[in-house]
Amino acid sequence: MAKPKVALYWAASCGGCDVAVLDTNEKILDIANLVDIVFWPIALDFKYHHVKAMEDGSIDLCLFNGAVRSSEQEDIARLLRAKSKVMVAFGACACFGGIPALANFTNRDEIFERVYIESPSSANENRTFPQTLTRVAEGELELPELFDTVLTLAQVVDVEYFVPGCPPPVDIILKVVDLFATGKLPPVGAVIASDKTLCDECERIKEEKKITRIYRPHEIIPDPERCLLEQGIICCGPATRGGCGLRCIKANMPCRGCFGPPPGVVDQGAKLVSAIASIYQGNDEEDIARMVVEVVDPAGTFYRFGLADSLLKRKRIQQAKGRVE
Amino acid sequence: MKKMLAQLGIEEERVRLDWVSASEGDRFAAIIKEMTEQIKKLGPFSRNGGGENG
Amino acid sequence: MTKITIDPITRLEGHGKIEIFLNDEGDVANAYLQIPELRGFEKFCEGRPVEEMPRIVPRICGV
Repeated sequence: MAKPKVALYWAASCGGCDVAVLDTNEKILDIANLVDIVFWPIALDFKYHHVKAMEDGSIDLCLFNGAVRSSEQEDIARLLRAKSKVMVAFGACACFGGIPALANFTNRDEIFERVYIESPSSANENRTFPQTLTRVAEGELELPELFDTVLTLAQVVDVEYFVPGCPPPVDIILKVVDLFATGKLPPVGAVIASDKTLCDECERIKEEKKITRIYRPHEIIPDPERCLLEQGIICCGPATRGGCGLRCIKANMPCRGCFGPPPGVVDQGAKLVSAIASIYQGNDEEDIARMVVEVVDPAGTFYRFGLADSLLKRKRIQQAKGRVE
Repeated sequence: MKKMLAQLGIEEERVRLDWVSASEGDRFAAIIKEMTEQIKKLGPFSRNGGGENG
Repeated sequence: MTKITIDPITRLEGHGKIEIFLNDEGDVANAYLQIPELRGFEKFCEGRPVEEMPRIVPRICGV
């Protein structure tokens, strides 16, 4: 019987999810024996035209990492969706937008201006920018169009499963392979991680969640045994799905939410605002003003990995609309 | 919250927090009227930031 | 002119596309390497706290 076919692809990605698959170490050989990997740019030489030539639905499992922020990434997402029976949003970027979704605080024009003109290492007096179509002596060259807004995979195609994390931990990757190989994949739409919050799974000592000051992580040396929030360090644990093995907490650093919102929470950042606000002991205007100053980058901290997946999805960059005088 | 919304490009005039008791009917109506005028001046809230995706 | 496209380039980190133009003799007239991606770290790191940089910029490359 033919081996199941698996494809892996990276969109607006850093390669970390692909490396995480390789971090299965010797188990990758078991995986390679179990399945036929028919497309995996980091490791194999198959090209887009090979994928286009495949029959629809002939790929059994596609692990798609990276967010979608260009026309090429969108096209390949649609292509792989057509060719695949099961599409998995693999890693925080494909699930929620990830770090690349921080670009939703800006837009393409601002990014181009910074990258090609303002950056200290650029000398570009002619203001040359990438074009989608460039004519050269020999013919034409094409580049994809970059979007203003970074999208999650599910905002572009139907997705059956979500594997969160930046990157997903090796034990979850092996679990996904095992569930697939034994035909025991959960109901469609499942997030393959824990159903609890990181807070629930955290082993640190929790006493009373009441703080009177918020510290930036470099301002104090946190006690590695006690809850970070209780020490005044903003930790996204209360509104982050568990299952990551507490990698950051064990390094004495606060969670930044890479596993996305826990079950039942639609907007991770909004939930975090609510969680942090509810533990801060403030009684008067002064306390509140102080807290606002102490939380230096609320949107960038509470939506660190999930801006594309939030209700607002991106910053509104108004073009001179009405103003309140 | 306002600081975060400002980072997301939402004008602070679009969000207001007030406490009104059930017996303060007139005050409730006045606040709603004020807020409605304020929002109308700001204009419609763009759904997807005007980006090409919506 | 014949055009040979290699897309995507593989077995390295990053996205790339190579276009090779052959003249009538079948020799390479010119070849172009294009990078069809840009995420904008240079811009979206602006406004983030400095102590968060070691948690954001490693996501430039996970290899």
